Amino acid sequence: MSTEIQDDWLDQKLQEAAPYIEDDGFTVRVLRQLGQPERQVEFLRSFILVAMSALASALTYVLSDGGRFILVEMFRLTTIPTVWVVAFALASGMLVMAGGIFAAMYKTHQIQS
Amino acid sequence: MELTDADLIARVLADDDQHAFGELVRRHQSSVRGLLRQLTRNDMQLADDLAQDAFVRAYKNIRSFRGEAKFSTWLYRIAYNCFRENARKRKELVGINEEQWQAEQDPHTIDPGLRHDLMHALSLLPLHERSAVLLCCQNGLSHQEASRVLDIPLGTVKTNVLRGREKLKKTLSAWAT
Repeated sequence: MSTEIQDDWLDQKLQEAAPYIEDDGFTVRVLRQLGQPERQVEFLRSFILVAMSALASALTYVLSDGGRFILVEMFRLTTIPTVWVVAFALASGMLVMAGGIFAAMYKTHQIQS
Repeated sequence: MELTDADLIARVLADDDQHAFGELVRRHQSSVRGLLRQLTRNDMQLADDLAQDAFVRAYKNIRSFRGEAKFSTWLYRIAYNCFRENARKRKELVGINEEQWQAEQDPHTIDPGLRHDLMHALSLLPLHERSAVLLCCQNGLSHQEASRVLDIPLGTVKTNVLRGREKLKKTLSAWAT
């Protein structure tokens, strides 16, 4: 070897000086910290939401005298002029479309970045 | 046939498969823990805590891994960020546990005296040069990859590697005979 240290020699010695570190339970400790898989959490979340909605619906039905208010509202809807119904439907459609376009633009921007 | 890192990542993304992620941890734990041990000047407990934190963060943010870089490069970046945050909190890093370090070495691969001098010389380098030398010279990352991990310009990485190497060569000049 020449008296000057070469880059390759130095890199080789640096690599040799870094031994393989045995796992020794490291992976198990990491996995323990991960918690429940996301799917299980999502399922639990959905279950709670559905159960709470069902309970709320049942309570509303009982407290509203068998859902009488729905019949009253339905009757009131039939008395609304047709023009108003068309305008309401148009406005709702436009609102949903705007939401969709906004979501698509946001997603596109996210993918591009 | 052994699954590639990309296959395992796909399983984690599709099924939230923790076994697949465990395999990724098993594959990369040595290099990540090794890098952190060097960065923390061989504080093994701290290095392992940071490595655990890094892998947990990697799992939680795996959807942000877009596959442009190697998975190991992405992991190094997370590990380096964990180290930097911790170093900022602690303000100072703990000393070298030389005895424990020596006990872990394989005596057949490198002269123990040379290793001791090399590790000592490495620990004397300033953090920015040590990080660059460890990533590029020891872990085989390209300058470009190291620049991503350290979040510094490519030219700075090259300069840091060059300066770090020169200092190591100077300190180890006695071994060049």
